[in-house]
Formats: sequence, C-alpha cells, structure tokens
Amino acid sequence: MLKNYLIVAFRNLKRNKAFSFINIFGLALGMVCSLLIMLWVLDEKSMDTWHANDSRLFVVYEQQTYDGKVEAGYYTPGLLYQELKKNIPEVEMATGFNPGTDNATFEAGEKIMKVKGTFTGADFFRMFSYPLLKGDRNTVLKDPSGMAISRSMANNFFGSPDSAIGKTIRFENKSVFTVAGVFEDLPNNDSRRFQYLINWEAYVKENQWLTEWGNNGPHTYIMLRADANPALVEKKIAKFLDNYNKYLDANFKIELHLQKWSDMYLHSNFKNGKIAGGRIEYTHIFSVVAIFILLIACINFMNLATARSMKRAKEIGVRKVVGAVRSSLIRQFIGEAILISFFAVLLAILFLALLLPAFNLLTNKQIEFPFRSWTFWLSLAGLVIITGFIAGSYPALFLSSFRPIAVLKGTLRLSPTSASLRKGLVVFQFMLSIILIVGTIVVSEQIKYVQTKNLGYNKENLIYIPVEGDLTTKYTLFKQQALKTPGIQLVSRTNQAPTRIENSTFGVKWDGKDPNARIAFTQVSVGYDYAKTLKLSFKEGRDFSLDFPTDSTNYLINEQALKRIGYKDPVGKPLTFWEKKGTIVGVLKDFHVNSMHAPIVPLVIRLSETDPWGSILVRTDPGKTQLALTGIEKLCKELNPKFPFTYQFADQEYQKLYSEEKTVEKLSDCFAVLAIVISCLGLLGLAMFTAEQRTREIGIRKVLGASIQSLFALLSKDFLKLVLVAFLIACPLAWWIMRGWLQNFEYRIPVSWWAFALAGVAALMIALCTISFQAIKAALANPVKSLRTE
Amino acid sequence: MLELKHISKWYNVGGKPTFILKDINLKINDGEFVSIMGPSGSGKSTLLHIIGMLDDASEGEYNFMDQAVHTLREKQRSQLYKQHIGFVFQAYHLIDELTVYENIETPLIYQNIKSSERKAMVADILDRFQIVGKKDLFPTQLSGGQQQLVGIARALIAKPRLLLADEPTGNLNSRQGEEIMDLFKQLNKDGVTIIQVTHSEKNAGYGSHIINLLDGRVEQ
Ligand SMILES: Nc1ncnc2c1ncn2[C@@H]1O[C@H](COP(=O)(O)OP(=O)(O)O)[C@@H](O)[C@H]1O
Ligand SMILES: [Mg+2]
Repeated sequence: MLKNYLIVAFRNLKRNKAFSFINIFGLALGMVCSLLIMLWVLDEKSMDTWHANDSRLFVVYEQQTYDGKVEAGYYTPGLLYQELKKNIPEVEMATGFNPGTDNATFEAGEKIMKVKGTFTGADFFRMFSYPLLKGDRNTVLKDPSGMAISRSMANNFFGSPDSAIGKTIRFENKSVFTVAGVFEDLPNNDSRRFQYLINWEAYVKENQWLTEWGNNGPHTYIMLRADANPALVEKKIAKFLDNYNKYLDANFKIELHLQKWSDMYLHSNFKNGKIAGGRIEYTHIFSVVAIFILLIACINFMNLATARSMKRAKEIGVRKVVGAVRSSLIRQFIGEAILISFFAVLLAILFLALLLPAFNLLTNKQIEFPFRSWTFWLSLAGLVIITGFIAGSYPALFLSSFRPIAVLKGTLRLSPTSASLRKGLVVFQFMLSIILIVGTIVVSEQIKYVQTKNLGYNKENLIYIPVEGDLTTKYTLFKQQALKTPGIQLVSRTNQAPTRIENSTFGVKWDGKDPNARIAFTQVSVGYDYAKTLKLSFKEGRDFSLDFPTDSTNYLINEQALKRIGYKDPVGKPLTFWEKKGTIVGVLKDFHVNSMHAPIVPLVIRLSETDPWGSILVRTDPGKTQLALTGIEKLCKELNPKFPFTYQFADQEYQKLYSEEKTVEKLSDCFAVLAIVISCLGLLGLAMFTAEQRTREIGIRKVLGASIQSLFALLSKDFLKLVLVAFLIACPLAWWIMRGWLQNFEYRIPVSWWAFALAGVAALMIALCTISFQAIKAALANPVKSLRTE
Repeated sequence: MLELKHISKWYNVGGKPTFILKDINLKINDGEFVSIMGPSGSGKSTLLHIIGMLDDASEGEYNFMDQAVHTLREKQRSQLYKQHIGFVFQAYHLIDELTVYENIETPLIYQNIKSSERKAMVADILDRFQIVGKKDLFPTQLSGGQQQLVGIARALIAKPRLLLADEPTGNLNSRQGEEIMDLFKQLNKDGVTIIQVTHSEKNAGYGSHIINLLDGRVEQ
C-alpha cells in the first residue's frame, strides 16, 4: 500500500513541477527560518546553565523602597557575601563579583597587553564549573596575591598554560599577582567574558568603599546547600541588611531577593522592583515569528492542494470504488504531505548549513550545526511530521470526503466553503506578512530615531581615553600638551562615560529638604571645560572655572534636578553633597546620560580632576580625527609609557547601547522578507492554478474581443482584494503590537501612518508583480490553442 | 443472490422530491446475466449504483447474499462490496498516475493481499486478457478498448461474484464492443453473475434476461 502511495506521490510531484517546487521550496524556506530561530532560542535558553551546580546557584538582588518608588538591581554591598555565608546556614558558598569587566593593562616580561577581566571571591571556582587547566579549584583565589587567567591569556603572555603557572604578572603597573590557576577559555554558552580573575582581597584593598554597607557595587552570588529550599532562604534573608546598613529606616527599605543565577541572562530587567523580562522577550517574540512563518508556508501547501483537488478527485473516486475506505485515503494524503515536508526538510538542512555562518554573524552567536545532537534530529523528524500533518490534514480530510459517485458522474462542484477558506488563508498569510513588515519599519525607525536624536550633547568627534597609570596624576600636564596638538579643540575629564552615567546617591541636601526624605540623584565628577567639551547648553549660570577657587565644592545641576530641589533662583543657592557645603553655579539644560530606554534623571555634577579612574574627553576638529589621534597617542606614550594606548569614540559607544535592538532589527528584516517571499510563492501558485483553470474562459473571452488589460484585471483583481483585506486587518494588530514594543523606550517615535502605508503598498506591489506574471502569460496566450486543449 | 424490495430514490429539487427510482422490486439469482435497458435519464445508472452499494436508496429494502444492506454501516458495506462486487464504467475511470499493472493491482492492495500473491494474480489476469505487453504503460497511452479491458481486468482481479457494468461499450466501436461482450459471456459461463446497463439491443441479447426501465419504474 505504502509503495502504491509513494508511486502516486512521486509521479504527481514530477508531473506538476511548478507546484512541487513552490510547495517544497516554500516549505523549506519556512522550515529553515524556524530552525534558525529554534537554534537561536535554544542557544539563548542554554546560556549559563551548563554549570554542574546550576540548580543551587543564585544571585542576590536588592529591592529598594524610597521616595515613593520601588526599584531593584543586582548591585549589592561588597561585604554582603561573606556575611550571608557566615550567618545563613543554607548558604554553602558565596562570592562577590565585580560585574564591570573592564580592560586592564598587564605586563609580564617584555609583553604589555590589555585584557578584559574582573575580581571575585575565593569560592568562585568551587561554585562554578569553569574548567581549570592548572591550579587547585579550592585555593586559586584564596591568596591575596593570586589570580587566575584564561588559556588564551596564558598563551599570549607565557606561551602555554604550563609555563604560565606560578609566574608573576604586573597589573595596571601598580600591583603584582602570581598566576595560581589557568582556566579554559569561556565556552560560547557562557554569557560572561572575563579572561582573568583576581582575588577579592586585592579588590577591597584598592577600593575601601567596598567595606561600607551603604555602598553598592558588586554582584553577590551564592550557592545553597543541596537540601535547602530557595523560597525559604529568600524569605529568611529578606530583611538581612537591616542589621548592617545604618541608613535603613521607614523612608528607605532594602529587601534582599534571590534569582536563579542562570536566569540572569534572560531575565535581567526590573520594573517597580520586580523582575520584568529582558532578553527572554525576544526569544518569545521570535518563537511566535517562527511559528507564523512556518504556518505561512503550510498554508501555501494547503491552498495549492485544495485548489488542485479537482484534479485529484477522479483518482479518489476510483480508489473509493475499488475499495478504499476514508481512513486509508486520509493516510495517503497525509503521507504525501509528509513526504513533501521530508523533501523540504532535506532542502532546509542544506539551507541551514549554508546560512548558519551568516546567521551567526547577524546575531553575534557561535551556533554550530548540531550534527551530533539527538534532540536536533528528533525535532527535525517532529517538524516533518507536524508540518506534514498541518499541511496535509485539510486537503486529506477535504478530498477524502468526496462522494465517489458524484466525482465519477462529474457532478461534483467544489463547495464555496473551500474557496472561501482558501481566501481566508491567503488573507491570513498576508496579514502576518504585513505585520512583520510594519514591525520592521517601526523597529528601524525607532533605532534611527535614538541614534540621531539630539542628546543635548554632541557625541560626534568626541574621543575617550581611559584614566590609568601615570595619567591619573599627570592629567593637567596632559591637558596642557594636548591643547597644543593640532586637531584638538578641547580636553576635559569625567569619572563616568557621558554615554552612561549611572552612579547615584542619596547624599544631596538643600535648604528646605525634608530631612527624612531619601531622594536619589545621579552624580558624576568632571574636570574643567566639561560642558564646553560635550557642547552642553546652560539654562542659567556658568561652568566650573579656574577663576573661582571655591568651585571644588560648587555644583552644576540639570533641569530635572532643579525640579526636584525646587529653588526659584538656583544660581548661588546652597547645595550640600556628601556633607560638602557649596553652591549651585549653573543649571544645564537636560541631556541624555544613558540610553533612550531610561528617562533623564536628576543629575548633580561636581568638580574633581583627581579621581584615579574615569575617562579623558577629547573634542577634535571635524575631519581631523586621525591627526588628533596620532598626537594623543604620542603624548600618552610619553606620559604613560607602561600602558598601551587605547581610545573609544563616543558615538560608537553610544551605538553599543542598542546592540540588542540592532540584532532584533536585522533579524526582523530577514524574517519579514522571508514571510513575504513565502506568501508570494503561494500566491504565485494560486495564480498559476486559476489561470490554468480559466484558460478556456479566457480563450472564449478573447475570441469575443476582450482586451489584454481587461483580462489582466479579471485575473488579478480577486487576489488584490485579498491583500487589501489582509492589510485592513493587519493595521490595528501591527499598531497594537508595535506600541507595546516601543514601551521599552522612554523616548520613542509614534507609530506613524506612513509605516502602514509603506507596508501596505509594498505588499500590494509585490503581490501584483507575482500575479501579473501569470496573468499576463494567460492573457497573451493564443486563444485557439487554449480552446483546442479542452 | 440479491433482492430489491420497494426500492425508491429521490432527490429534493427546489424543495420538493423528484423521483428517480420508484418502488423497484427485483430478484437476481446466482449465475444470471441481466441487461438493464431504458432511455437516457430513466435511472439505470442510479439503480446500478444502489446495487453496487455506491449509493443509498431513499427507501426500501436491499438484501445481498443474505445480508440486509440497508441496515449495514458504511464500513461493513464497503467490506461486503470490496469482496463480492466488481465495477466497470463507461468512462473506464482508471487512475492516470498509475500504470496498467498498478491500476489492476489497486483493489488487491485495499484488500490487504500479500505482495507475492498480488503479483501472481495480476500476472494471471494480464495473461488472460492478453495485455501483458501493455502493463507498464499509462492509461493515456492506450486506446479506448484497451483501457476498458484494463477496467474490466481491474473489476475482476479480486474474483468478484457479481460484475456490474454501466454501458461498458458506450465509448467503443462495434468490433471492440463485441469483444467485450464475448468476454462477458465467457465470464458468465465461468459462474460470475453480471448486471450490465446498455443501450444496444444486440448487446442486451448476450444476457439471459432484460429489465426495462422507464421513468424510474420497471416495465413488465
Ligand atoms: N444529484 C442529483 N440531483 C438531482 N437529480 C439527479 C442527481 N443525480 C442524477 N439525477 C437525475 O436522475 C436521473 C437518472 O439519472 P441516471 O441514473 O444517471 O440515468 P441513466 O443512467 O438512465 O441515464 C436523471 O434525470 C438525472 O438528472
Ligand atoms: Mg447512465
């Protein structure tokens, strides 16, 4: 029986090459699309979950209640992890982790290099499964002079992990560490990217603020005992900080909470103090997109199969007469669909292998073709069967329901319901495609908007140089020299990059402030000429100036801060910052200090040219960047010879704030194109079918004198109507969906009417081109020929 | 072999029933060769389809080999006719995608007969009908007479007790028609009961008796 079905299926495929191509190619496109998304989602979901103790690893986050707000974040006091381990019996191990993996300069022998890495506690390698090539897990980070480095870092400095162990390496030209361990380079399914880890004590020694409970900075990771109940532990530690942080009271509460450590990667956004999604949202969105696209491809299949059912009807009638029961026919047609989807999957595998490198580039991933994965092949088999069933079920049920005598007598008419179902499916396909197109347009417009919006400062021609090594003390000299260098207009400095000012404090006081109120201000320290270098505008007052020696305790604020403080004439009014009394000398117009995801917050700017970290800001003459860079490099080499010269462009750093959105943009571009291509393939098939079915009618009309235009209109208008209906349904849906996505941005474009117009016109034009190919062919055909074939 | 009692068939056209068959009473014994005649539209085909269980009567009783067909469910009915009835059509109704061999084989497949056995049976009938040389051709590559031979071979492959033929020679020239009739005569001699619909007096003459239909009634 199977053989008989296979034979018929194969001969049908061969006889109707165009339809077979549309079915198989369309389905393969849909499949490769959902396979890519599936691999991407699996990769995202597997991130960080590979550690042996995964189920017992947790990150502690703080939920802070103050000033009528509830906020949350991963930043915790530097002392927290030790206290948790000491006092909570369920906490078996714990470590602090500095989340800012910055480039640091290392020196060993002749070699000086910049490497990314961070500081962490002694339990780190006992909690996490990062493979250690050299050294002992239990002691690597115990010794205050010990550190661990990656295999590549070991290779780069010492030639091999073997020769690296026990060697000393100079860190930031100020301290020396011994390589106590070498760990394997981090695997692709780990979201952290450190190449070295230095013990916690060294970190604390350099950063005394870590020993105060009022300061937050590091992450706190803990490992629970195997028998511990995380929910109970979470309850137990909720008020833990009340015993340590002396600032906590009725106006300022902090609760500690737990999140599974491996969940951080996908769920790292907080809203109103609660975990509120993150990357997980994109995995959901794209899973839905994958299903949509597969559905669009399946619909092609169903539509073509039912449209062509008249041709198969006779076969079915005869089979019924010679003894086929309905179930065996259903099996035959579903089997045929499964066969086609099997071919499609073969093609999809080929596409997948070809497209994966490009896809990786697009998504910044290193997904490999999962040859060896059982689950992959099993899910492929599942995909074949499921798409086979979805695509084949309707034609199977529909075709097998024909009454044989009606078919054989020739009195069978395709029921109008099947035609309207077909139309409905086409509308559905195009609706999905149009939604995807609108989505693509809105996403790219929003990204264009955030990239070109006036930030309140000028990010073009602005270079950052890290304050490190001797530059920390020779800044004034650097500035003097740099200003003499051709191509350089202005020089200033800051302790946080202008694209990302994030430090905040409660330590701001003013006249008339409720002494109990906790009000957070974002704060940054800057050098002279900061406002000029960034091209900030003043609402009133003046910039810090060497002419006013008291400026070291004077402050600039932004408009948001002024609103909070509430002074009528702010310039000259008193302001106390971290117990230093001073006055407000200027009010800056609001400017963006972070990405457009965040609102502009109250900001206090103080003067300090001696912070041991931060960036030097250099404003260059437009078009003379290269000249300026050469000059600065020479200067840096001179003043700070132990550190390799590095720099960043402010505009590029700003772009990086949207890297996730850009990936999404690129992906949605691809998928929207695919969706419309697959939909049009289906439309092409239907148009071919209609033209074929109506050759006789067209022939007669032509003999009677119909013009080519009128025939073209006759063949096209029904399809175009469907696309129009799809457009009308898609508009409100797309509007609703995209409005939701835009909520992620504090500053956003409205969903504009022209996005819809463009999507609609695009869909209509593409559909028209698709159909017209067939329509013109049919309209131009020689009528005598077409009549004779009947 | 089979008996129809008070069989009627009507369709609702424009809300009121139009009768196609009216109170048909008929008894056909094993080994008979019956010809049904009558003008176009008199209900011959409908009657044949009811006998062949491809269509239901609106009213009346139908007994086939001691089974009350009108009370059987779809599955049992299909089981019954799969085993005992072969059908031949005026328009041949072969499956275009299958070769001669495969067309003839199809009914055996639906009766779950083993592949080796099927081979033997098909080879046997190809031989008997002298179409061995055509077994790998597709229906469209055959003449009308050849196609009808294949149709008959397919109807007979499962060794039915009853052969129903609806104007089997309607699309053939007279020489081809005669060959088919001779074949029917021979089959009847071998014990197959045959009911054929025909317009030709000459062909009707091959049968043992004739039933005349007029406006859905049997003319006595
Ligand atoms: N589905 C139907 N609805 C209404 N009338 C029908 C239907 N099928 C057949 N008929 C009518 O039944 C009559 C008998 O048809 P048929 O048995 O094919 O006649 P014959 O084979 O004798 O030429 C015809 O008049 C035909 O129009
Ligand atoms: Mg008839």
